[in-house]
This record gives sequence, structure tokens and C-alpha cells, in this order.
Amino acid sequence: MSYRLGVDIGGTFTDLALFDERNSAMTIHKLLTTPDDPARAVLQGVHELLEMAGAPIEHVTALIHGTTLITNAVIERKGSRCAMLTTAGFRDVLDIGIENRYDQFDMRLKYPRPLVERTLQLEVNERVGPDGEIRRPLDEDEVRSVVARAVERGAESLAVCLLHAYVQPAHENRIRAIVKGAFPDLPVSTSAEVLPFMREFERWTTTTINAYTQRMADTYLRRLEDGLAGMRFAGQFYIMASNGGTVTPATARRFPVRLLESGPAAGVLMSSHLGRLLEAPNLLSFDMGGTTAKGALVIGGEPQKKYELEVAHVHEHKAGSGFTVKIPVIDMVEIGAGGGSIADIDERGVIRVGPRSAGAVPGPACYGRGGTEPTITDANVLLGFLDPAFFLGGRMRLDLEAAGIAMRQRLAEPLGVSLMRAAWGVHQTVNENMAQAFRLHASERGYDYRNFTMTAFGGCGPIHAARIARILHIPRVIFPVGAGVMSAFGLLVSPLSFETVRSHPLAVDRLTDHDLAAAFAAPIAEATSFLDRAGVPARDIRVKRRLDMRYRGQGYEIEVVLPDPDGRLTGVADLPDLFSHEYARIFSAAQLNEPLEIVNLKVEALGPRPAMAKGCHLAGIEGGARLKGSRRVYRPEADDLVDCPVYDRYALQPGDVVAGSALIEERESTCVINSGDAVRVDADLNLIADIALSGRN
Amino acid sequence: MRQLDPVSLGIMWDRLNAVTNEITTALVRTSFSTIVRESYDLSVVLFDAKGRPISQGRLSAPGHSGTAANTVRYIAESFPIAEMRPGDLFITNDPWHGTGHIYDMNFVRPAFRRGELVGFTFSDTHMADMGGVGFSANTADKFAEGLHLPACRLMRDGVLDRTIISIIRSNVRVADQVIGDMMANVTCNELGERLLVEFMDEYEIDDLSVLADALLGQSERAMRAAIRCIPDGVYANRVQIEGLGTPLTLAVTCDVRDDEIHVDFAGTDGLVQGGVNVPFCYTRAMSIFALRLLTVPTLPANDGSTRPLHFSAPENCVLNALPPAPTAGRHVVGHFVTPLVIGALADALPHRVQAQSGMMDLVSIQGRRGDGREISTMFFGAGGYGAMDGMDGMATIPTPASMRVTPTEVWENLYGTTIESKRLIPDSGGAGRYRGGLGQEIVMCNDRAGPLALAFFGRQTAFPPAGIRGGAAGSPHGYAIEGRPVPPIGRSTLQTGERLVIRLPGGGGYGDPRARDPERILQDVRDGFVSVDGARRDYGVAVDVENATVRPL
Repeated sequence: MSYRLGVDIGGTFTDLALFDERNSAMTIHKLLTTPDDPARAVLQGVHELLEMAGAPIEHVTALIHGTTLITNAVIERKGSRCAMLTTAGFRDVLDIGIENRYDQFDMRLKYPRPLVERTLQLEVNERVGPDGEIRRPLDEDEVRSVVARAVERGAESLAVCLLHAYVQPAHENRIRAIVKGAFPDLPVSTSAEVLPFMREFERWTTTTINAYTQRMADTYLRRLEDGLAGMRFAGQFYIMASNGGTVTPATARRFPVRLLESGPAAGVLMSSHLGRLLEAPNLLSFDMGGTTAKGALVIGGEPQKKYELEVAHVHEHKAGSGFTVKIPVIDMVEIGAGGGSIADIDERGVIRVGPRSAGAVPGPACYGRGGTEPTITDANVLLGFLDPAFFLGGRMRLDLEAAGIAMRQRLAEPLGVSLMRAAWGVHQTVNENMAQAFRLHASERGYDYRNFTMTAFGGCGPIHAARIARILHIPRVIFPVGAGVMSAFGLLVSPLSFETVRSHPLAVDRLTDHDLAAAFAAPIAEATSFLDRAGVPARDIRVKRRLDMRYRGQGYEIEVVLPDPDGRLTGVADLPDLFSHEYARIFSAAQLNEPLEIVNLKVEALGPRPAMAKGCHLAGIEGGARLKGSRRVYRPEADDLVDCPVYDRYALQPGDVVAGSALIEERESTCVINSGDAVRVDADLNLIADIALSGRN
Repeated sequence: MRQLDPVSLGIMWDRLNAVTNEITTALVRTSFSTIVRESYDLSVVLFDAKGRPISQGRLSAPGHSGTAANTVRYIAESFPIAEMRPGDLFITNDPWHGTGHIYDMNFVRPAFRRGELVGFTFSDTHMADMGGVGFSANTADKFAEGLHLPACRLMRDGVLDRTIISIIRSNVRVADQVIGDMMANVTCNELGERLLVEFMDEYEIDDLSVLADALLGQSERAMRAAIRCIPDGVYANRVQIEGLGTPLTLAVTCDVRDDEIHVDFAGTDGLVQGGVNVPFCYTRAMSIFALRLLTVPTLPANDGSTRPLHFSAPENCVLNALPPAPTAGRHVVGHFVTPLVIGALADALPHRVQAQSGMMDLVSIQGRRGDGREISTMFFGAGGYGAMDGMDGMATIPTPASMRVTPTEVWENLYGTTIESKRLIPDSGGAGRYRGGLGQEIVMCNDRAGPLALAFFGRQTAFPPAGIRGGAAGSPHGYAIEGRPVPPIGRSTLQTGERLVIRLPGGGGYGDPRARDPERILQDVRDGFVSVDGARRDYGVAVDVENATVRPL
């Protein structure tokens, strides 16, 4: 008997999923997050879930944890007092920023204040050149006195940020050693170890976030480890990182910045797992919850990666108003539209949804907690998509009347349209916004999304998915089983992994296979060392190599994946073809007659993918009759309410077919199936919807 | 199509904008030029069959606000619409029918659906080169500046005109890049036509003019409503800027009456002998940009929103240069139109206006690295942002134009020079109830290259960014080599081993400095943004950081 357990902490709920490896049964559990001490809900949830499943904790071989703790600490500025030591002449880098306005038409735009106070931004005399040569030796006495001053001023952690440390980290390493000797309890993050990536502003921002969150990550992980040990848990404990891989607690403590946004990453991982099972290699993974919606592309069964993430936006959720962090992440697009997003009338005189959100308090008007502005959830309940008596499986009653008042007063009357028309306007505006975000995301990356499959999950995803698919000409939508706890599922399919990057300019025309292998040696050794320490045998470690390449002189690069078939290393001779193939795919225009150069080397080391049976069944959830009844639902084509059958998702059986219009309810959400679309239930109880692609508004 | 209710209008308007944004994304992605990719010196616009703009991409340079409509009109005058066929594509880079200088190439494609012309797609991007003497202010007329293309048909029945391509190819320096960027525009207009037609199919729209009427009407109403909130009156402003040798005066009068504004530039000095003259289309665009910022910033510049706005300027003043005046660097002077117009309305819209900002600075650098590799690049930097009511200006954020700075680590890898320091300048932000954003000082040493030829386009040297509503000016701009000041507009050489110091201006302040919250002054002194002496001099207070006190003198 053995089990694996996934625990994902979200803003509102902590989700848990227990996988019984013997019979592929999945038991799931959900409880409210405890923001004051998130470990409490985790430990309580583990206890309750194991009890529900009758599983002894001794038989749980692994517990995988995803958390928003680090993200929240940055957003709420609850990290520790952090000092920063830079190359002389550059202590102002974080305040100077990228000298760019992210919105031409917003005079009052805002930028995040650096996490390091001005009086703790300090300099030291040293200089490393771009080629790695030491131009000016490190003034070690100055290091001692400056750090002593920082500690005197209350510094609780230190970020060491020197120019060109990505190529030559000697000075950063020396500073760490000096500080270790003088202040053994002061955690030190150096920019080269956090991510050796050229571009000081982004690398230093990342380093300060790491230093800022190191103490709290340590405290939190200790709480969990102690709590689990107290429950006699003896299995492996892993933490989910932003790149869709897991790390050991030791790695998490060293690089807490890599845990940013790990929950959403797990959802995408589950989508790609499903895509592999259902032979839908190209996916648009769509996750919409209470405050935001996220989309990610899965290509050929693999989530797409990137090395940049923006977090903690300070201005209307606009891109550019957050911290730019350089870490390996799953490439997602996020928009500030969730169930709680508020709808109003914009400057043009038409409906706008977001960026303001009613949050959990007061929440949508229909929550009856004093909200007076109409939200997406209010629109969805008025349109009949949500049953006021069956929200969260009936755990919360929605106030239809309050939703109506808000919608009428704020939108319908000022616009001079009917209540239903206004609600429809809100619903469809969100669909258009989402479709636009996905469209741009795919288009920026050179993908044509039109024959992709969508996976829809999160509390609101299944309500909007079919309409968005129609707008995007996406022919198929999968509503996975357990859509409400997808991230917790995703944790269970995530392999141990570590990724790193080296900025390492190399001219391709003078490069030999030997040079290329030599350049990769150090990052490969670094990445695999983390798996080695976690006990993964060398033969089970897979290494993926990628290069950022460009035409010499061009200011932007594209990523080229080295196929390395059957472990045979791709050689230099193959690079021009690989590059031009990728270049043609993304740019589709003329190619330049310029030599090629390599800018960055990227390495990902992965452990074996955890076994997950083909499909799983949810234990302990019983359905009633297939057809629960019917509800009046708005149909835009008729501009009227019409009767629509309502099905119980838990009662549907493999092979069942449901024709739209129909609503299929589960505890955490409702799948809205539109007229013309048809849904079948597959062997694993996923709902597969075929979308009719000739629709209109 | 049935009459549009506000719900349908909103949904379709958003979709149309999504289409335009998707085209823009494709254009940015496929462009070669760094200027396009990093500073978005481009625009994408969709038109109905009458040539009225119905949607504009989210990334559109301020200087391109509303110029596209003129360009489409010009194309239609040169090539009658009745003779246009599917697969046609037209281009021009004429400064007076485009965006004010030859570097922006404009593309217009008629869009056909079921054999019928239903609208136009438009794009323009900044080209890396247009021949002639290259990007320079030192030209006597437009002929020296480079290749001028009047309205040309670049494609017929989907086939490129090889003659035009050959002419361009043999005139420009980096031909692969220029032709590559042109192809990016060609492709994006094809995509534009496809997406526009798909949009019409999906919503069963046979004639875009119903939608155009609705959204232009809505835009016009929104703009008129916003203008009605401005008290009627005649508001004037003048700014002095550096010319080529002698200072230039720019003058404006904004006559606000009921729900219309007439903007007139009488009193502005005449043409200058060099390529910084401004064609009126650019002056108009920068004025529209200013008025949008002050009224309804998110409202697109279309024929509806600009209908209540009227613009005039004396012929051959520097803001209404006529051919053959040279205009390649029209933004050097033209960028001041925005603060000029905003400043005029300071008393009318006290809560919306902004003090002048330290603008984007660029130094052109040419030479060879120690290892022989050629250097030809621009060094960018930003001054401080102007303060507004309730808001201190941010450090080192430029306006009206914007650009992403090259990181020091990237710079040092490429250009044979070392950035020795890059620091905020204390006390550089103009004092005010709300302080201007700080400027910066950059020290660059030529330690690994041969002699470097520098070309400067410096502004705000003699006339630093002005404060507003009682706020003080920010610190001035300046360049020095080895401690010697160098002329802000012109050329110099940076010898091996020499140091260039660039001091970028602070933004202007807003409101009376004596009204500044003492807590903010104390915090500024703590943060090193204002010195103790500066607080004494500019704010009239004695600050004691140790004891956290601020005492009036």
C-alpha cells in the first residue's frame, strides 16, 4: 500500500489530493486557507484527508507541496529587512529601473518600490569586466565595515549584487565567505547563484526577492516539517517550483524566489498530463478563479518555459507595474479577471470588466456581504449559469436579488438596456478579453491556436471556456475530472527538477563540438547536483539543453531546443538549421545574412516522471440522477431566457452524450455547454466538448 | 446589420481592438529594427471603406496619433478607390502625408470581402535607414536627408513591384533589415485583411460603416463631454528650447469654448537651418496626444474624438514646416509640443496637468572596438518624470517618448566602453509641493575602443524641465568630456582613455515647495533624494534626520 499526497495552497482554498497507487483512486479535499499561518490548514487538511481515505500516514511515500507564500510575501511586503551590496557606482540601479513607461496613455502610472530600503542599498569597491577579468580587486575591509553598518541598521538578510557576476562570481563568493565568518546568522543571496543571467536590473531584483523571503521560507518549511514529523510522516517532502518541477526543502530554502507562482504551474502540468493521455498534444490550458485567469500553451505535450516572470503588480494589474523576476517558469499569460472582477462603464461609454476586484470581502453582490457593484459572478448567476442554491455544492447560498439590483443600477439603467442584456454584456466582455489575451500570447510566440484543444478548470473556467473556444476557433474543450483541484493533481505528476542558465556569448562560426560541450559542462553539473543530493540515481537523470541564439548584432534572441536524440548530443553543425527552422516559425519573414551567436545556455535536469495511472477515479463522491432538472438560462441569440437541462456531473457515465444547451454541475463549478456544442464523457469521466465553430454573439 | 445597442457595440469594439492588437503583435514580432521592438515606434490602424479609423493598436507611438487617416486619404487621392483590387498594397514615407519624417514607412492595404472593398488596413514602422546623409540634424533641405517615396503601389494582385524594392535596396545602408522590416509590414497587412474579414463574417457585418458611425459617435460624445468639463477660456503658454545655435520660442493658445478646443501655434519662431523642423501632421499628433492625456486618455484618436479639436499654425513656423524643409529629427523639437499644450491648460485643469519631464536622451556613437569590431549604436538615458498634483515624479522615467535602456552589462559586452557609474542626482528633481523625479549622472569611459565619434541631440540644457503651478524647474541636462562641457547639439570625439559624463535633467516640480508635507521632505532626505542643504535652499526647512524633525527656517 502506498500513497502520494499533493497539497496546494491558494488564496481562498487549500486543496489536497491523495493518490492511491494500488487502485488509482483519488481522494480530494478542500478547506479554507489560513492566511495567518498557512501551515495550519495544510496540517489539518492532511489529517482530515487521510482520515477520509482511511490511509495510514506511514504509507504516504511522498508529499508534494505548492504554495503562494512567497508571492504573497512580496505582494504584502511581509519579508525581512534586506540589505543590498552592489558594485561601486551602481547602488541606484533598482531605483533607476529600465527607464521606460509601460503605458503611453497613463500619466499616473506606478512602479514597485524596491524591496531594499535606500539606507540599506550599499556599495563596495570592486570591478569585474564583461569578459570575466578582475579589473579592480575587492576591497575586503570595506565589505566588513559596510556589512557591519547594514546589520547595525537592522538588516536581516543580504543580497550581493555585483556587475558581470554571471560570468565571474569570484567577488560575490568571496563576500559570502567574509559575511559567513563575521555574521554567521545573516542569510546571503548572491546574484550569480540565484540565476547567472546577464542584465543587472532583473538579476538584482531577483536576488533581492530571494534575500527578502529567505527567512520566512525557512520558518514556514520548518513549521511544516515539524508538524508532519509530529504526525509520524516519514516519506519524502517536496516543494513545487515555478518551472513545474519539484525541489527538496533544502533547495527551496536556498532559492525561495523559485517558488513564486508554483500553484498555477501545477495546473498547467496537469493539463499537459491530460493532453498526453488524451492524445491532444497542443493545448491551451485555461484556469479561471476568483481573482485572475491564466492561460498557458502546451506544445507537443510539454508546457512552454520562459525565464521571466512579473509579480506583485502595483497598478491596475498592468504589465510593467510589477517586479520582473528572472527564474525558470512555465510560460503563462495572466489577466486580472476572475469571478470577483467588477464591471462598470468606461470612458468610451461601454462595458468594461476589471481591473478592480471585489475580492473575498465584500465579494460579488450575490454573496450578500455588502457588495454593491456587479461582478462576473453576479452576471453568471443572473444569466442562469450558476444555481444560487448550489454554489460550492450548496455550501453557500447566492443572493440573486442583490445581484440584480447591482447589475440594474450600475449597468442596465445607465446603458438603457435590459437586465439580462447587461449581464450578457459583462459575461461576453470577459470572454472577449480572455480570448484577446490568449490570442496575443500565442501570436507573440508564433503559434496558431486554431486547432488546439482547451482544458478548462478553476471555479470559473468551465463557465466561460466554451464561449472563449468559439471566439478563438478552438474546436474542442476538455473539462477534466476534478477541475476544482487541478493544481493539487498537478503536484502529483511533477518530477524533481532543477534548471539553470548561463549567459555565455559564443560565436557559432568559430565553435567546435568540444567548445559547446565544455560550455555546457558547468551548468549541467550544477543542475544535476541538486537531483543527486535529493537521491536520484545518475542513470535516472534526464538533461534537456536549450540555447538562446541570435543573428550577431540583433538585439533579441530566440530559444532553440537541442533535440539530443537518444542522449546523442546535438553538434555545432546542426545549429544553423535548428536556428533557421525556429526563426522561420516565429518570424515567418526574410532571414538575414549574418553570422549566428549564442547568448545563453539553459539546462534542465529532471528526475523520472512520477507514475500516474491513465486516469483516476474520485473516491467518495456519489452522483444522483443524471438529469437534475432544468433552469432558465439566457440565450443571446434569442435575447431571452430559455429552459436548459441541468446534469449532475458525478452521475454521468462513460459514453454518455449531452447536447448543448446544457449545464453540467459539479461542486466547484458548472460547465456551460452552448447550443450546437456536444459533450461526451470519456472512460476516465473527463467531459470532452466539440465546439460548433460558426457561432456569433 | 441591426441597430447596435451599447452592449453589442462594446463587445464588437473590444473584438476589433483585439484584432488590431493581434496584427500589432505580429508586426512587432517580425520586425528587425530594435526601435520597433523596444520603443514601439509604429502604429496599426483599421479603417472602414470611407477611410475612417475604427480601431488602433494598443502600442502606437504618440507621434502617430491620427496621422494614419491623412495617409489613407493621400493614398486614395493618388490611386482612386474604384480602381483598387484585392491584393493591392500602397506605401509612402512622405513626411507631410505620413508621420513627419522619412524614417516611418506607411503601408495601406484595401481589404476585400466577397469581392467588395470593405475597409483598409494600415501599418507603419520606423526604418533603420533611408539613405542620404543618415540620421542627422545637419541638413539644409529634405533632398539631402534620403529617399522620399510619394504614394506608390508596392503590390498588385498580391505581387510585389520589384522596381520599387530595387530602388529602396540600392538607396539604403542596411538593406536586408529595411527590406525585412518592409516584409513584416506586408505580412501584417495581409493578416489584417484576413482578421477583419473573419470579424465581419462572424458578426454578419456587411458594411462596417454602421459600426463606424456608432463608435465614432460614441467617441465624439465622450470627447465633447470631457471638454465641457474644462472652463471656457483662452489659455496660452510659451516655452523656450534650444535651437541650432539660438534659442527657439514655441507658443500656443488653446481656445476652449463649450465643447470644442481650438489650438493655435501663432507666435512660434520660424524654420531652423537643420533637420529639426516639424511638419504640421506631427505637431497635430503630439497636440492630440496631450489633449487625450488631459481628457479621456483611453479614448482612441479617431475621426470622432478629434472632431471637436481644431489645430492651426502659421506656415513655415518651426511647428508647421513646409517642403522642402529638412525634418528627419522632427521629434527633437516636436516632443516639446506635448508639455507646451499641457502647460497651457495648467490653470484650467490643475489636477490633470504635469510639469515638464526630463526627456529621453540619445547619444549616437561610432567607431571601432579594440578588437577591430565596428561600433555603431545609440546610448539612451532618461531624465526624471514631471510631478503632478498628488504625485511626485518618478526618477528616470521619460515622456512623451519612451525607450527601454540598454543594461550596463549588455552595453559593456558590446561597445568597448565601461560605464563607471550610473547614479541618481540628489536635489535634481524640481522642488514643489510634489517633487519632480530625479535625473541621473552617467560616467562612461572609453577604455577598450579607438576614438569614438559622438553625435549629441541634447535638449533641456539652457532651459531645464519647467515646474508647473509654482513648482521649480528640475536640474539641467549637460555633457562633459574630461570635465570640459561639450555643445549639446553637435559632434565630438571621445578619445581612448577619456571619460564622458552625461547629466540627465530632473523633472519639474508641481505646486509651491513651501506647501510640501514635511514628512515627505524628511523621507526624501533619509532616502538621499534631497540633501540637507537642498531642503534648506529649495524648501526653506532645516531637516534633522537623527531626530526626525523638519523645522521651518
